Amino acid sequence: MADDLTPTTDPTELLIYQVRIKGHLDADWADWLGGPTLTLDEGDTLLTGPKLDQAALHGLLKKVRDAGLTLISITPTRKD
Amino acid sequence: MFFLDITYNYSMPAPILATKLYLPPPRPGLVSRPHLVAHLNEGLASGRKLTLISASAGFGKTTMLSEWISLSNILHPRVAWLSLDEADSDPLRFLGYLIAALQTVQPELGQPVLAALQTPQPPPVAGLLTGLLNEIANLPKKLILILDDYHVINTRGVDDLLDFLLDHLPPQMHLVIASREDPDLPLARLRARGQLTELRTADLRFIPAEAAEFLNRVVGLNLSEAEVAALEVRTEGWIAGLQLAALSLQGQADPASFIQSFTGSHRFVLDYLMEEVLHRQPPHLQNFLLRTSSLDRMCGPLCDAVLGNPFQPSIFTLESLERANLFLVPLDDERRWYRYHHLFGELLRKRLGQSLTPGEMDELHIRTSAWYEQNDLPFDAFRHAAAANNIARAERLIGHPAIGLHFRSVALAILEWLASLPQAVLEAHPRLLVRSATLLLVAGQTTGVEAKLQAAEAILQTPEPDAQSRDLLGQVACARATLALTRYDPATMIVQARRAMELLSPENLPFRFTANWALASAYLFQGERAAALRASQAGIAISEQSGDTFSRILATSTLGQAQELENQLIAAAETYRSVLTLFGDYPQPNAEEALLGLARIHYEWDDLEAAETYAQRALHMARQYDRAIDRFILSEVFLAQLKLARGEVEAAAAMLAQTEQTARQKNFILRLPEIAAAQVLVLLKQGNAPAAADLARRFDLPLGQARALLATGAPAAALALLEPYRQQVEAKAWQDERLKALALQALARYQNGEKAPALQALGEALALAEPGGFIRLFVDEGENMRLLIADFRASMGKSPHNLLAYADKLLAAFSPPAQSAISGERSSHQKSEILSPRELEILRIIADGLTNEQVANRLYLSLYTVKAHVRNIFAKLETANRTQAVARARELGLMQ
Repeated sequence: MADDLTPTTDPTELLIYQVRIKGHLDADWADWLGGPTLTLDEGDTLLTGPKLDQAALHGLLKKVRDAGLTLISITPTRKD
Repeated sequence: MFFLDITYNYSMPAPILATKLYLPPPRPGLVSRPHLVAHLNEGLASGRKLTLISASAGFGKTTMLSEWISLSNILHPRVAWLSLDEADSDPLRFLGYLIAALQTVQPELGQPVLAALQTPQPPPVAGLLTGLLNEIANLPKKLILILDDYHVINTRGVDDLLDFLLDHLPPQMHLVIASREDPDLPLARLRARGQLTELRTADLRFIPAEAAEFLNRVVGLNLSEAEVAALEVRTEGWIAGLQLAALSLQGQADPASFIQSFTGSHRFVLDYLMEEVLHRQPPHLQNFLLRTSSLDRMCGPLCDAVLGNPFQPSIFTLESLERANLFLVPLDDERRWYRYHHLFGELLRKRLGQSLTPGEMDELHIRTSAWYEQNDLPFDAFRHAAAANNIARAERLIGHPAIGLHFRSVALAILEWLASLPQAVLEAHPRLLVRSATLLLVAGQTTGVEAKLQAAEAILQTPEPDAQSRDLLGQVACARATLALTRYDPATMIVQARRAMELLSPENLPFRFTANWALASAYLFQGERAAALRASQAGIAISEQSGDTFSRILATSTLGQAQELENQLIAAAETYRSVLTLFGDYPQPNAEEALLGLARIHYEWDDLEAAETYAQRALHMARQYDRAIDRFILSEVFLAQLKLARGEVEAAAAMLAQTEQTARQKNFILRLPEIAAAQVLVLLKQGNAPAAADLARRFDLPLGQARALLATGAPAAALALLEPYRQQVEAKAWQDERLKALALQALARYQNGEKAPALQALGEALALAEPGGFIRLFVDEGENMRLLIADFRASMGKSPHNLLAYADKLLAAFSPPAQSAISGERSSHQKSEILSPRELEILRIIADGLTNEQVANRLYLSLYTVKAHVRNIFAKLETANRTQAVARARELGLMQ
């Protein structure tokens, strides 16, 4: 993981995010949240997607805030 | 150029929506939270500036505040409430609502600021706030301002405004902010200084005892301690979750198994409970909740229209929803308008999007739009037409006469929608192209406007355009006239404005007015005054027909100017006074034109007191303009000339030097000739004719040059200058310049020993001047003019003549030589009253050794205002610096 993030090229261009939300979200939230893929992981839901870059992340966080969802973590990963 | 600024940045804040100021009453069935109320009271009592309630949606922020207010209303009866929405991110709209909220507890507070906000181009926000803060500082009792839903604000401008407000907040006011996220304010600094009271998620969540009280006592569920604990853990004390859980449990046959399956589930609390709650409602109620969730506010008749064929009149449904505690928030005391609790509404809308097809969604928006249109709310109707993507409907609504295109928020919302449309759509609707060009101009932007106009024209220009296309082509021409104004191109303005008047429909009054105004401005700019007069009279007629006060003010002020230039002083004074009447109690900055006009006219009538009063008011108004506007210079020059007329030559010189410096610093070069013309008069009074001649030559001021030549005993040379100048202004029909030139010519001939031609020229000048009652025009020329008029009077004998009485009146107005000493004494006697209380206050602080900047901070004034006051103090005390001014004031006994 650490190697993945070594800024050999432009890191901001390649970074996307994985957002962890507390509780299981129904699949119908995907549209409302702007189209990420929802994956249930133990008691949480992971929001992922190739389009979830910095700008999308900020928009998503606002929606998380407005729906009263509990944010657990945000993890940067590299776009394949 | 001045016209541009006042005419085309034509965007005022929209009218105030009273429901945003409605202080929500405490909901029945509350859990009382005395420790939180005590915490808030303590913060208030210890004089902290800000209370911040910061937590996610559904933690009861609004409820907490309304409980606090209702419990403490004996202690703090003066509470103003403002529920914010996204449109309040515009700082000027925000400020307008802030004052409207304050006025619910202190009726007249901020009225001047509110009046200034109504102007098309309001002054800078910091200046407005300073005025407001000064008013608040003078309040006898404390007031509390609550800003709810602050998280919807998404511009730096509003944060900056609040930052400034907090920085200068007088102890008479306490600010409360409720928000889902921390506002961008210096919270760390406020915390460190002990100026902040906070309630955050950890404080707001229900502790087990509160959850028990809520579920068992308030809702009456009779749950065991373990069951309450399980619900508390599952919802983590989240109040919205517990409320939904309570709703699901009411009337539940087997609460224990419900609690077991709920607490055993991993589903998001709201998903789980919303489904429970919705499924427990009868189908008609489920349908109602979903379909009305697309409304940001609702009333019975609107819901009826949206549902089409409701199960029962919606007004009953709304009442039963409120009774059932289904997250309905009343927006007024009459129970007319409601909205859903934001979080609940959001979840309903999410479900709505899943249960309806896009076509059905559009249908809902169209019905909403139709209801708003029928109820004369065209802007709301437009918003829903745009949401339904119904272009024809939206386009038609933009043209609704009551939509209020001159309101900033309306213009911006429409521009945003237009910008979102694909190019192909725009090209299919030339009306939208023209609209978007015009609205861009309204918003003060010129980039891209011509391209849009050309695109529209290409579609509209057919050999035989129909009535509608002709009107649109007229609007295109009108927009081009405005564009030409931004380039100071009067020739194009005239061509385009005339074309617009030809093409525009006779009913299209707003555009006809704009075209006419452009025409009048262009004529004035070119010196074609008679044409300008006619155009502004036509403009007044149009504005009377349309009933629009603002356009009437513009056209009437121009008419006054044109009349003044035609020497019609009595008519001009009447016109200017009618402008002031149009403003009512709170004149706005652009009343400055009329005030200065009245000052000039009263000066001409030798009523110097009235002239000074009007000019000071004009200066005050002009300083409220944007700083890029140079109008204040005109008032300053006028006031200097007034000093000169009173014999205060050095004070006049000092004022003009200061004004000139400001004009050069700010690059107001168009105003330099006007300043120079006054300086020439000062130099002549100082006996420095060579310098006066030199200055008049440099700025090409023929009248100034002639006066300088007369002062050096060269009347023949003066005549050689004056004759061609008079012919030139006569050819242009510039009546005011013609009169001045004639009077000077008479004087020059008189000094040149040509008595008969001198008397003849004076007779002509007097005949021109008598209807307007000019006095100072002659008196200011001094002793030689008095002798000339006396000779003229003698030559007329006792034969009745209409100029006889006029000549007598003029002769009486010349002050006899002995009087100058008296007037000098009078002016020094007046010094004790001449410093205003504000100036005295500033001088006292200066005496303590504070800098201008420190004075500004202490008095909540802008640095610019303080400098202006200091300049006035220097001029009034006839001193050159701070030390001298303080010494002089002590000498005069103005201060200790």
